[in-house]
Amino acid sequence: MYTYDPMVSCISESPEVTNMPFWLGTARVVRLHTETLEPFFFGGARLLGLWSEASELSHLPAKWARYSHAGEGGRHESMADVSSIEHPTLKVPYDVLNKKFRLAQKTLDREVCHVTTAVSELERILFTDNQSASQISSLLGGVVEKLSSFKRKAEEATQEEVECGRVVKRRVEHLRGHDAPSPATVAEWRRTRLDRLLVEYLLRAGCYSTATKLASSRGIEGLTNLDVFLVAREVEQSLALHDTSKCLTWCHDNKSKLRKLNSSLEFNVRMQEYIELVKGDRRMDAIRHARKYFTGQEPHHLPSIQRCMALIAFPANTDVSPYKELLSPSRWDLLISQFRSENLKLYQLSSQSAFSVVVQSGLSALKTPHCYRGATGHNPDCPVCQPALNALASPLPYAHCSQSRLVCHISGDQLNENNQPLMLPNGYVYGEKALRQMASENNDTIVCPRSRQTFNIRDAEKVFVM
Amino acid sequence: MEACTAVAREIEKVLTKFTSYSDHASNTITSLHSNIENLQTEIDQVGADKNITDPQASILNEAMGRVKEAVTRLSSDHRDLHSSVSKVGKAIDKNFTADFGCISNDSVFSGDKQQLVNEVICQHFFREGLLDIAEEFISETGLELQEESREPFFELNRILAALKARDLGPALQWAEENREKLRAQNSSLEFKLHRLAYINLIKEGPLSVGQAIEYARVHFTPFVYQHEKVIQSLMGCLLYVKGGLENSPYSDLLSPHQWSEICDVFTRDACSLLGLSVDSSLAVCVNAGCTALPVLLNIKQVMQQRAVHNMWNTKEELPIEIDLGPSSRYHSIFACPILRQQSTETNPPMRLICGHVISRDALNKLTTSAKLKCPYCPVEQNPADAVQIFF
Ligand SMILES: [Zn+2]
Ligand SMILES: [Zn+2]
Repeated sequence: MYTYDPMVSCISESPEVTNMPFWLGTARVVRLHTETLEPFFFGGARLLGLWSEASELSHLPAKWARYSHAGEGGRHESMADVSSIEHPTLKVPYDVLNKKFRLAQKTLDREVCHVTTAVSELERILFTDNQSASQISSLLGGVVEKLSSFKRKAEEATQEEVECGRVVKRRVEHLRGHDAPSPATVAEWRRTRLDRLLVEYLLRAGCYSTATKLASSRGIEGLTNLDVFLVAREVEQSLALHDTSKCLTWCHDNKSKLRKLNSSLEFNVRMQEYIELVKGDRRMDAIRHARKYFTGQEPHHLPSIQRCMALIAFPANTDVSPYKELLSPSRWDLLISQFRSENLKLYQLSSQSAFSVVVQSGLSALKTPHCYRGATGHNPDCPVCQPALNALASPLPYAHCSQSRLVCHISGDQLNENNQPLMLPNGYVYGEKALRQMASENNDTIVCPRSRQTFNIRDAEKVFVM
Repeated sequence: MEACTAVAREIEKVLTKFTSYSDHASNTITSLHSNIENLQTEIDQVGADKNITDPQASILNEAMGRVKEAVTRLSSDHRDLHSSVSKVGKAIDKNFTADFGCISNDSVFSGDKQQLVNEVICQHFFREGLLDIAEEFISETGLELQEESREPFFELNRILAALKARDLGPALQWAEENREKLRAQNSSLEFKLHRLAYINLIKEGPLSVGQAIEYARVHFTPFVYQHEKVIQSLMGCLLYVKGGLENSPYSDLLSPHQWSEICDVFTRDACSLLGLSVDSSLAVCVNAGCTALPVLLNIKQVMQQRAVHNMWNTKEELPIEIDLGPSSRYHSIFACPILRQQSTETNPPMRLICGHVISRDALNKLTTSAKLKCPYCPVEQNPADAVQIFF
């Protein structure tokens, strides 16, 4: 019998016979091989139409051709799925740790400075002739005091660093649970994973209250990046009320990273403040503001600055573009969305939630043509057959399948050598087990569940699927 | 596992270093502190209006040098910890994919599709019994759900909650109300519920035996034909009630497993009666996606290296086969063993008279002068005898 070989993916007709049953002799057979595929497949312009040529080219060959999922229920799910979506789970608390480290370093440097200043004062006295014991004692007291402060601050700072480090550690330890030995633990871990994904999706969608509730009811606040989004929410809310202070504080807190990202957020906020001054007809204040914040800006901001300065010459209800647009309140929404995307970038968060990515991949991996063939093909257990998911999956590609996988339409059991497929005279195929059971309860008569025709079990014929 | 291990190792190092740094800093400063306090006491003894002696001055000078050096050292020691900290970040970036977003297409879930996503999430909350969270979500998103889409979940969750609290009442009532439909789908839910109620009576000890027999008489009779053997054994256990069922051949009747089983049976049968999936569709989908994603990321990388784009902008197939395991197969898929393609409406599976199945296109290709030789057995046949089949 011909066995499935993942190396084989492309079709060509060839008179050669390899791996074929002896009775085929020298008949013309269709043979598949990889070598002919490579130049086709990876050859440039034709590739863009890759999938529509599926009938000639079939699919990716060789080592990537088949990914097998070991074991029922996937207990030994590949490690890769943890590393594929869990980057933000670890990287965000790591960034927090890194930031804490820098703050701690700053604090320590400041304390060192205080101590050395106190020490230097004492040293200076030691070089003079006036070495009165009382003065020296009081200066020593100063050193002792600064040392105490150093000690307290250093302890606080390292304590905070250790706390941040422990957050990372707890999350890594949680992630390690994904391949626990007991299936019940793994199932629970996956449930938590879904909740974590949902929390993040909800936060991105602005459903803060649902997200917070879900996280706390499942006790997973520490495993999600709730804090980052809740801080962002405050900034967004204040921007929506046309208040810039929180956003500017945020910019200040994240100065060095924003500079690395070449962010124009702070400039845009300052510009908006200027525009509001113009709108309020406080033109002198506007000019003062401009002098303070627009000088020393990057050269690429120059055109915006010039446009802003020209704005002074127009009335607040002008119809002239682009000044009309500058005065529009919708600029606040733009600021909010800019803030939102920079906040994601700051933490290296993907522009799309892991939830969307995973659901789309899952839908595609489950999607079959049967899901779109009306009620006869419908399976209530199949996610893609659910109306909402069905509509969502419609633009996505189908799962690829190079080997038949048959399921009994009646029982949902697999069809294989233990439950052979049988064909009724109308061409419909069912599992032998389900048909025999139906026949035994019904005087050898079978009712085809899809066509409602009745047959005798003796008329069912075997079907061999390779 | 190595991805987590790598990060765990680095973070462990950082934590150890921070802890020992903290101890070291604390000890250093404490000893400096007491050293200088001693000096201060010594100098206080000199007398307020006198000058200190030269040896005292040089001791002081030396001590001050030590203080300066020690605090500066502590600060630079802390700075040196940064390399360990940044190793954690590097381990994360190296072992975990930051840019998984490249796999998906944001238009698929945005715009008016968002409403559908919300509907799916809300159904999931209902199904998991998270009713208050579902309500919160509805009020935050303004989602409009049809009343009948939440009704069944309320009832299911209420009954399941009762079963988990070992109360059979609501489940029994539901099973009685739906007796005909349950029988039509071959469910033995009602019998299993009565069986558990009977076991509960027996558990109470010899005094309840009479009551148990009465219960059996009333409730087991309608099931005698289907469940005769089980009923026999249920009645048989009465012999052992006095000596304690724990030590009898029927001890497994007491196992708590009976309760988790009844919850499963109820969920399965009730869902199938209501036309619902047994597991949350969203959960199935997410688990499938978590399996598929690494494969897709991998293939995407290969395709990018070879300048292939557009993995998703297509109604065709994924570029790679992803086997989600037998439990995630919901539909029969026939892939022609000759052409290695899934069958379609225009290229359906055909059964040859020998019983072998190939696709219609393959059949046409293999036909020469109105004769067809099966590629799997020596039967020569007329291709017109092949019939289309439906899986
Ligand atoms: Zn389906
Ligand atoms: Zn044959």
